[in-house]
Amino acid sequence: MRGMLVFWAAAGVLTAIAAGLILMRAARAAGQAAAADPTPILYRRQLAEIADLADRGLMGEAERRSAEAEAARRLLAAADAPQQAWSADPRARRWVLAGGVAAPAIALGLYLTLGAPGYADQPYAERLASWRQADLESLTPPQLAAVLKQVTRERPDDPEGFRYLGLVQAAAQNPVAAVQALRRAAALAPQRVDIWQMLGEAEIVEAGGKVDADAQAAFRRVLELSPKDPGARFYLANAKAEAGQRSEAAGELRALLDEMPAEDDRRQIVAKAVAELEGRPAPSVDAGQLAMIQGMVSGLAARLDADPDDPEGWVRLVRAYAVLGETEKRDAAYASARARYAGAPQVLQQLDEAARAEPMR
Amino acid sequence: MIAEAGAFALMLALALSVVQVGLSAAGRARRSAALAGAGEGAALAAFLAVAVAFAALMHAFVVSDFSVANVAANSHSEKPLLYRVAGTWGSHEGSMLLWCLALTGFGAAIAGLGRTLPQGLRAVTVATQGLLGVVFLAYTVFASNPLARLASPPAEGRSLNPLLQDPALAVHPPFLYAGYVGLSVVFSLAVAALVEGRVDAAWSRWVRPWALAAWSMLTVGITLGAFWAYYELGWGGWWFWDPVENASFMPWLVAAALLHSAIVTEKRGALAGWTVFLALAAFSFSMLGAFLVRSGVLTSVHAFAVDPTRGVLLLMILGATAGLGFSLFAWRAPSLGRGGMFAPISRESALVMNNILLAAATATVLLGTLYPLIREAMTGEAISVGPPYFNLTFTPLMSAMLVLLPAGPLLAWKRGDARGVAQRLWVALLIAAASGLATIALVSPKKAFGALGVALGAWLIAGALAEIVERTRAFRAPAAETWRRLVGLPRGAWGMTLAHLGLGVFVLGAVFETTWKIEAAEALPVGGRLTVGAYELKLDDVHPVSGPNYEADEGRITVTRDGAFVCRVTPQRRLYTAGGQTTSEVGLCYRGTSHIYLVLGERREGGTYLVRAYWNPWASLIFAGPAIMALGGLVSLTDRRLRLGIGRRREERA
Repeated sequence: MRGMLVFWAAAGVLTAIAAGLILMRAARAAGQAAAADPTPILYRRQLAEIADLADRGLMGEAERRSAEAEAARRLLAAADAPQQAWSADPRARRWVLAGGVAAPAIALGLYLTLGAPGYADQPYAERLASWRQADLESLTPPQLAAVLKQVTRERPDDPEGFRYLGLVQAAAQNPVAAVQALRRAAALAPQRVDIWQMLGEAEIVEAGGKVDADAQAAFRRVLELSPKDPGARFYLANAKAEAGQRSEAAGELRALLDEMPAEDDRRQIVAKAVAELEGRPAPSVDAGQLAMIQGMVSGLAARLDADPDDPEGWVRLVRAYAVLGETEKRDAAYASARARYAGAPQVLQQLDEAARAEPMR
Repeated sequence: MIAEAGAFALMLALALSVVQVGLSAAGRARRSAALAGAGEGAALAAFLAVAVAFAALMHAFVVSDFSVANVAANSHSEKPLLYRVAGTWGSHEGSMLLWCLALTGFGAAIAGLGRTLPQGLRAVTVATQGLLGVVFLAYTVFASNPLARLASPPAEGRSLNPLLQDPALAVHPPFLYAGYVGLSVVFSLAVAALVEGRVDAAWSRWVRPWALAAWSMLTVGITLGAFWAYYELGWGGWWFWDPVENASFMPWLVAAALLHSAIVTEKRGALAGWTVFLALAAFSFSMLGAFLVRSGVLTSVHAFAVDPTRGVLLLMILGATAGLGFSLFAWRAPSLGRGGMFAPISRESALVMNNILLAAATATVLLGTLYPLIREAMTGEAISVGPPYFNLTFTPLMSAMLVLLPAGPLLAWKRGDARGVAQRLWVALLIAAASGLATIALVSPKKAFGALGVALGAWLIAGALAEIVERTRAFRAPAAETWRRLVGLPRGAWGMTLAHLGLGVFVLGAVFETTWKIEAAEALPVGGRLTVGAYELKLDDVHPVSGPNYEADEGRITVTRDGAFVCRVTPQRRLYTAGGQTTSEVGLCYRGTSHIYLVLGERREGGTYLVRAYWNPWASLIFAGPAIMALGGLVSLTDRRLRLGIGRRREERA
């Protein structure tokens, strides 16, 4: 309520100043209606300047004479020109007033149609404070991420805060920030296997489904700490397969399968991967994992749709489609990204590389 | 409530502009001083209202109010303050608001400072400026409202393109827009002159300060943009003949031509029609630039509005306003006076030559910019018109102009003395020839065109100085007289000399850098070495650093020459976490006017980094030259002959 009052007061003051300026300038101009045409004055000054330059020796005598003759002719012509008198015109007052009233009226009409009367400002600091006080359950992942970011800033040495931040950022479909937070968590608690594992998986999502060098480094770290870890071995074997060492990868996965307890439901995924690598007909990749990756990719695609000026994002999208084996979507994304960055050879090169990425299946 | 107050102010500005057109036009029609004065009051009020809207948007950016759609789309809570402020004009909507701020600002300036203009001319100018305000404010309010709100604001903004998060680029748009839109005053004055039927020496005098101010701002804006491209994009170059660059360069060329032709009209009353034509063309090119970068027909960092309807709207605005101006011109031009006569060899002829060459150069740039777009629209086939086209068309035209340039200021009005000019320029010619020969003798590899270019730069600088020497009779008259003349030289003369000198400095830098730059690139491990020209680079280490909204790998590279330490450079490769984009932060090492330019690439398999290094000799001159030119413009502006108000009061006392 108070906000509305302040708003209408501000709008009123601004409008009053505007109307005041119109009336004031009208009154002043009416008082000077009979002002003479300034043109002859200007030509007299031009004559004076010519004389001045000549006196200082910056203009020759012949040039001076011809310049003066011309300026004098112009002065005469200007002085002789018929002067059309401007009037104070008392009837104009009505129109001036009409103008002074019309402007605020039009503005009010426009604002009530197009504006959002009564919508208060939403500065970030205030919103953040309200989220911190809110029930965490009620917050969306991006809001939670904002809160956790502030928490980690207050407790920069707490790996748990960064781990949570990483999880929340992944949920908020911000893989870059997720990786960043988890790297920080891993640096603070280098002995925690779960953090390295999470980091590795986040790196895969960031790389559009590819087990890239950063992800491999994280999983190797997992194996240093826990040499038998099935997750890390699975992803590292996948990395080998991606690099073309398919039979080696299949061997490692088979060994992994042998060691895994029968009741481990991840066995299914590993078995499928082995089947694919050995060229046997593979029904499908684990539906859950695929859905997760596809969710990430469609999130990225939606973001680029809304905010397409992001070369790295386009490269990631093209690579992700290539890895997922979605050739049509890959070609579509590739074509539109190429058109967009036709002038940037570096981006085009990255796009070419991304489009050539091997499909996962 | 601040955001809403801003939205109201923006709409009030639109309403005020409508009223401004009505009052000023009615004032002129009825020859009523009160109505015309009221129109000026509306112009002042419109500027105030846009300023309030602009401040409100800036406030929303500073406090990261993501309920404002434009802030949500273009800012981020972790962005440093400078870029949050600069974010105000970093997007399509915000920059339209900046455009409107400049437009109404210049309208207010005409209303407030134009008291030396005759009443009729002033009223029509204010009305025309108001009409431009109506068109652009309506476009902003209805099609690009920067203060539109979001019912459910997102938790975090989508951030500004990191390439734009740079100090030079934060201030580049305000200068550029002041220049672009400054030409609107020239446009309005031209329309008013055509309506009033008085394009004469006096009108030229009234136009010149506005054209000069706009041209100077444009020079600064374009130079900042080129400098940004040079050190932020990391390609080692500073001008790519990109359509966006051309879009800002064409109004500059036309404004430069206008400055020169207006002198002829002012001193001799000649070329009146041509000067009016240029005055209309200059702002039309500004609007063409606005259309090109906003319509989505271009792909670049500037192409922020990819919405085709906005492009069509802008095209309609361009067509309507420029069409209005040129139709008026076609109708009224035949009645314009012919002005004074002049001989083929004279100051006037030299300025006509300047105008022909500048206009032809503008036409080649226009063709090179639009042809690929039109062709792509017709056949769907993308072709790129790059430096080769411009080197073959633009460069010869400009070279011809630069060769003739030093002679112009030495020629007398009406009938010049070619032999006399030759006598005064032989020293400059000697200096130019010596510079060219010295370049061939001293610089390796030997390149004839490069040496010619250096000679041309030296010719311009020596020629500009020769003009001062001539006017002050230095070395011929006693020192005391030379001093007296030097002090007595009008500021306008100094401005011209500086501008021509700056052009020479630019030519030297541009020629030297493009001809003798050296490039080297290699994937280096930490501790690896790379040679570029006479310098040896060693990648000492690469370590992570954290910025306010980015993480970066920072390389430390030691530069040595013949084993002696030269400098340590720290190029970065930044990852902006909000958008996930990476950018290169170029490392520069200044050696006199030359630069060692280093770019750090991403880490590759095996722990190596791609390091690209350039030796860019005399590169500082490329940016110093235009800075000197802009300074020349500002010095000219302080000439008391252009400060009309003061002069007039003195006149009245006398």
